[in-house]
Amino acid sequence: MTGLREKILTTASNLFQTQGINSTGVDTIVAVAGTTKMTLYKYFGSKEVLILEVLKQGHQDFQNWLNDKLSTNTKQPTEKLQKLFDYIEEWVTSPDFHGVGFIKASAEFPKEDNPVHQLSSQQSQQFKQYIHHLATEANIKDAEGLALQLSLLFEGAVQAEQMKRGSGAIKYAKTAAKFLIDGALKH
Amino acid sequence: MNYDDSDLLSSSWLIYMLAKSSDTPEGRLLSLFDILNDWLKAPNMLKHCHLSNANHSLLLDYCITQAQTLGAENPEILAEHIVLIARNAAQQNITHPSSNSLTHAKKAASALILAQTQPVITKSIKPALSKPVTYSIAATLALAVCASLIWAPFLKDQQSTEHVNAELNKDNTLIIAKKDDQPLTAHDATQMYAKYELMRQGTCQFPEALLMPDKHKAIYLENVVGGKLPSNLEDLAIANDYLEKVKCNFTPMLMAASK
Repeated sequence: MTGLREKILTTASNLFQTQGINSTGVDTIVAVAGTTKMTLYKYFGSKEVLILEVLKQGHQDFQNWLNDKLSTNTKQPTEKLQKLFDYIEEWVTSPDFHGVGFIKASAEFPKEDNPVHQLSSQQSQQFKQYIHHLATEANIKDAEGLALQLSLLFEGAVQAEQMKRGSGAIKYAKTAAKFLIDGALKH
Repeated sequence: MNYDDSDLLSSSWLIYMLAKSSDTPEGRLLSLFDILNDWLKAPNMLKHCHLSNANHSLLLDYCITQAQTLGAENPEILAEHIVLIARNAAQQNITHPSSNSLTHAKKAASALILAQTQPVITKSIKPALSKPVTYSIAATLALAVCASLIWAPFLKDQQSTEHVNAELNKDNTLIIAKKDDQPLTAHDATQMYAKYELMRQGTCQFPEALLMPDKHKAIYLENVVGGKLPSNLEDLAIANDYLEKVKCNFTPMLMAASK
């Protein structure tokens, strides 16, 4: 039974990424997953709950991947901060990249009182806090300021890549991030 | 064409404000963040205006033109990225006014400009100079030599007057001890932009370029007279040495004449 839940979740995630959340109906999800609406609602209750679960899973997967990369390939806290955008670039330029869940969801659900919009905002904040943590570990004086600068660079570059695949925005964002990090490390 | 003037980023007034904000394309691009910051602090601004997710084509086209003028490697991407950062930061400013998001967004945009312009500057200074750059350096050099010959006696008098402001000379913070081939940081770039802006506010006397070594001459013309950011720390240090020799008078001309 858990396998079926995972299958629906993976199918929905793929369809949301490639076709958009609002344009993907429950009928399409169950057809592609080879299940029924009744089973989908049994596990997720509503399409909105399914969207929230897909977002949570996607964000967790990305964070885990990034954590693994940083902990496996870097030792010093400063190095983790300096390598952050290298791995972000690797992820954004991989053939499987179809955008960032919380950035896409935030654009598709712009109303602030919508639960999907609220979760997207939370995840955006969480990612900024993650950078804040890396900057603090690297003894950056204005860790909060640097985290905000880097998260703005990241989200802007991803939005540009979502609009035009292979735009190169992430390459320039990586160079700009290096300037900002080097500057912050000197203070 | 009709534009939605109630949408902060689609307003034709924003373009008007940007156009008069600075004499340089990078200054006009970065002013976007200052203007939005001011507007969002204005009382009741959000009762009359909003921030949409629409494609802000008027602003985007304006920023592309500025990015092309400053010689960005990919002007469309630079402009698009800056507009996206501005929109995201403005949105954060609305939900978290204490975050200073637009101030930090300006720093991020400044670093992006540097990321897109630094290789261009490097190419123009290194041996393989393109024809237009060679012509422009030659023309600027000729102008600088003529100007220094014509103004030389006048400049001597000016140096002895109390109107000469020594503020540029006093600011030694940009003297870089590490003269290697490292790129500039965003902090270095911001400091240089501040110096260029300060120079533009006064009437400045530039030292003669005729007797400078060739490498210094190129850096002097490009990065001091021309107001373009140096490409690395070594060039920055050289540019700073010459910047120190620039004398600027900040007394308004009418006021000076009345004395």
